This record gives sequence, C-alpha cells and structure tokens, in this order.
Amino acid sequence: MAVFYESLSAAARGLPVTLAIWLSAVAAGMALGFLVGAARFFAPRLLSAPLVAVVEVVRGTPFLVQCFLLYFGGPFIGIDLSPPVAGFVALSVYGAAYFSEVFRAGFMAVPPAQLEAARLLGLSRTQTVLRIMLPVMALGVLPALANLAVILIKETAVLSIITVPEFTFRMQAVGSASFAVVETTLVLALGYWALVEATAWAARRVEKRIERALAA
Amino acid sequence: MSVLEVGALWRKVGQAEILRGIDLTVEAGEAIGIIGPSGSGKSSLLRCIAGLDPIASGRVLVEGKPATPGDGAIGMVFQHFGLWPHLTARENVALALKLVRKLPRREADAKADAALARVGLAAQAGRKPAGLSGGQQQRVAIARTLAMEPRVLLFDEPTAALDPELTTEVLDVIRDLARAGTTMLVVSHEMGFIAGLSTRVMFLDHGQVVQVAPPKDMFGPGAEPRVKGFLKTYLDRVAWAQG
Ligand SMILES: Nc1ncnc2c1ncn2[C@@H]1O[C@H](COP(=O)(O)OP(=O)(O)OP(=O)(O)O)[C@@H](O)[C@H]1O
Ligand SMILES: [Mg+2]
Repeated sequence: MAVFYESLSAAARGLPVTLAIWLSAVAAGMALGFLVGAARFFAPRLLSAPLVAVVEVVRGTPFLVQCFLLYFGGPFIGIDLSPPVAGFVALSVYGAAYFSEVFRAGFMAVPPAQLEAARLLGLSRTQTVLRIMLPVMALGVLPALANLAVILIKETAVLSIITVPEFTFRMQAVGSASFAVVETTLVLALGYWALVEATAWAARRVEKRIERALAA
Repeated sequence: MSVLEVGALWRKVGQAEILRGIDLTVEAGEAIGIIGPSGSGKSSLLRCIAGLDPIASGRVLVEGKPATPGDGAIGMVFQHFGLWPHLTARENVALALKLVRKLPRREADAKADAALARVGLAAQAGRKPAGLSGGQQQRVAIARTLAMEPRVLLFDEPTAALDPELTTEVLDVIRDLARAGTTMLVVSHEMGFIAGLSTRVMFLDHGQVVQVAPPKDMFGPGAEPRVKGFLKTYLDRVAWAQG
C-alpha cells in the first residue's frame, strides 16, 4: 500500500512536468516547424538548402543522442541549460523537424488555382498563407499533426535520462527505492496511455470542427 | 488607346519554345476567342498575359502600362475554379475587396452580393463551394473576379471541367458579360459558343498565331488551310458523336 501512495504522489508531481514540457514543446515545435515548412516551400532552393540539412540531421539521429548533446555538450559552447529547459528545447527542435515536413506537404497539397486566384486578386503572400493556405490545408494535416503530438508525449520519457523530474523520472525513483519496479512501470504505461487517448480524443474534436467549417 | 497590347511575346521553358512571337491588340469591349489544338499554347498565352508565367521577351501592356499580377488590371477564371473551400460564396468574392481594396466589411459584402446577383447566384451567397454545383462554383469564381473590376478578363476553358448541362449556365454568364462590353479573352473548345461570342477569333498552333479573323471568316471560307483542317477534325468528331 505504501508503494501505491508513493506512486500516486510521484505521478502527481511528475505528470504536470511531463504535460508542461510536452504542451509547450508541441506549441513551439509546431510554430517553428510551420516557419521552416513555409520557408522550404516558398524560399528559393539555395536559401532552403541549409534548412533541409538541419531537418535531415535532426530526423536522422536518435532523440536520446540529441538530448545528451544539448545537455552535456551544450556547456562547452556556452549553452548551459537546466534539465527542464534543455528538455523543452530538445523536444521542440526534434518536433519541429517532423512538423516542418507535415506543413510542407500541406502547402504542396493546396490546389494551384486557389493560389493563382489569390495572387491575381492582389492578396499578399502573408495574407495568402494565413487566410487561404492554413485553413485549406488544416483538415489534411491534422491527423499527421496529432500523430506527431502523440509521438512527442512518448518521447518525453527520454528526458528522464537528463534528470528532468518528469513522470518517468519520478516513477523510476519510486520503483528503485521500493523494488516495486513492475507496479510502477505499469502505472507509467497507464499514465502515458491515458495521455495518448486524451490527445487522440482532442484531435478528433478539432477535426470535427474543421469539417463543419468546410461543410456547405 | 487599346485596352490590351501584346507585342512580340516569347515564352521559353529550357529549350522548348512555348510561345513564339505573339502579337495581339485588343480594343475596349472586344471578346477575343482563342482556339487551337491541344498543346498549342493557349493556356500559356493567357498565363503570360496575366503574369502567372514568366515571359522570355516581349511586352504585355494594359491601357499602355505594364501589368503585374495583383495590380487588378487583369482578372482570370480557371478551368478548375480555384474557389477557397473554407469560405462561403460571399466571402470568396468579398475577401480581396476587404484585404486588397480595404473596403469596410459591409461595403465589401454589399459589393460581393451585387457581383453574385450578376451571375445569378444571389440566393446562394451563404453557401460554401462544397454545397454548390460545378456550374455555380464557376459562376462564383467569375463573380469574384468581376468584383475587382479588372480591365481585361481571361477565361481558360471555363467549362472544360463541367458536365454538359452545367456548361450552358456558365457560357450564358460569359455571353452576358461580353454583351455588356467586358473586354475579354476566352479559350474554349466550344466552337459554337466562340463563334457567337467573339468579335475576333485567334487560332494558335505550335506557339504561333496562324490566323486572327472575325468568326464568319474563321469558321467560313476565309479560314487558312491549317484552321480548316483543325475545324474539320472537330466537326467530324461532332458528326461521329451524333452518329
Ligand atoms: N511549365 C512548363 N514547362 C514545360 N512545358 C510547358 C510548361 N507549360 C506548358 N508547357 C508546354 O507548352 C505547350 C503549350 O501548353 P499549353 O498548356 O499552353 O497548351 P494549350 O493550348 O492550353 O493546351 P490544352 O488545349 O491541352 O489546354 C505544351 O506542349 C506544354 O507541354
Ligand atoms: Mg490549356
């Protein structure tokens, strides 16, 4: 029973950290990914080439390695971040690389006539992106965005390795102190699963709203 | 001064010469029909005039001034409508009035409703594209262009994506606009419509103008042999289809 209460109190302290880092990283990663995706879609190849390289490196290396590099390697080049901030930054950049691909695909899927009409009618590029491209591609990119958000929830567990006091970190501490590793791991699995389900539910609601907005 | 002047217009993509020295002068109120075989450069010509495709050399002047996309001088209606699916018909028409012309919302909406009424869609103003037929969608696209009051209207196969029974309602709208004195260039394979609409018809082949003539010459004995050959194939197909 003592393990049960300890698990609860550890979850109560760890989950908010997980949620805070995850939500802020999803928001920052999406915003950054949108900018990168837009730059890759609109900018001439020469300008977008460095972005392509960065995206490929981030997508081609394990998140764990990126966390290590930032947290342990960062101080050598003057980037000295606390564990939660390092976790937030690493997760945002990692997410942005993937989000940028989703947005770029979304931009490419907007029918050309819709953009040419906007151009001839005199809309600026920013107006075209915000008033036309974003709403038009919203429904198409939403499932991929939600899927990425779910992947990022699970990746937050990696942050325990750089001692971010999040859900996994707290539960592991309880587990190793009490030797109740199986129980605490079960609680962990349940906790992440609940978060994933909640995210999927929220995504479905947003999808319904967008569908209604597009309906006749 | 002519409304539209196209002079020595060349378009190249790599080695390919898509348009090879097009000249055309259009006076106010004229309706120019553009016909020619597939791949002859009809769409390219309209797109170069609109500024959507870059030209290799030559000039496009609207009322004596070079036109750039978005300056409101040229309006274009596309085969695939290009309506914005998240906006109602009224919002589609009003968006550029608000964002570009900076009209207050009520004025923009009133102007949009007037444009929609002109294409016979006053009752559908509150509907999104998904709730409109293809012919209605194309008429919204026409209204959207009209509302900005361009000097020249370009139509690139405006009915090619429509069922035959929806084609008529769109062609009727274009004909009404022409009668009201709208200066326009119309690419279409609807030969009967082109014959009835146009003040002059231009025949393009391999990126060059073969002939420009009033419809009675282009569709009569005055046609160049190349035009006759093309129209014969076309009429043969119609005859074949009619059994
Ligand atoms: N961006 C481009 N790159 C390469 N070739 C092009 C490009 N645009 C057009 N072309 C070529 O230029 C020629 C003319 O094309 P265009 O679309 O203007 O013909 P069209 O007369 O409108 O034909 P259709 O009746 O089939 O619509 C075609 O051979 C086409 O393949
Ligand atoms: Mg064409």
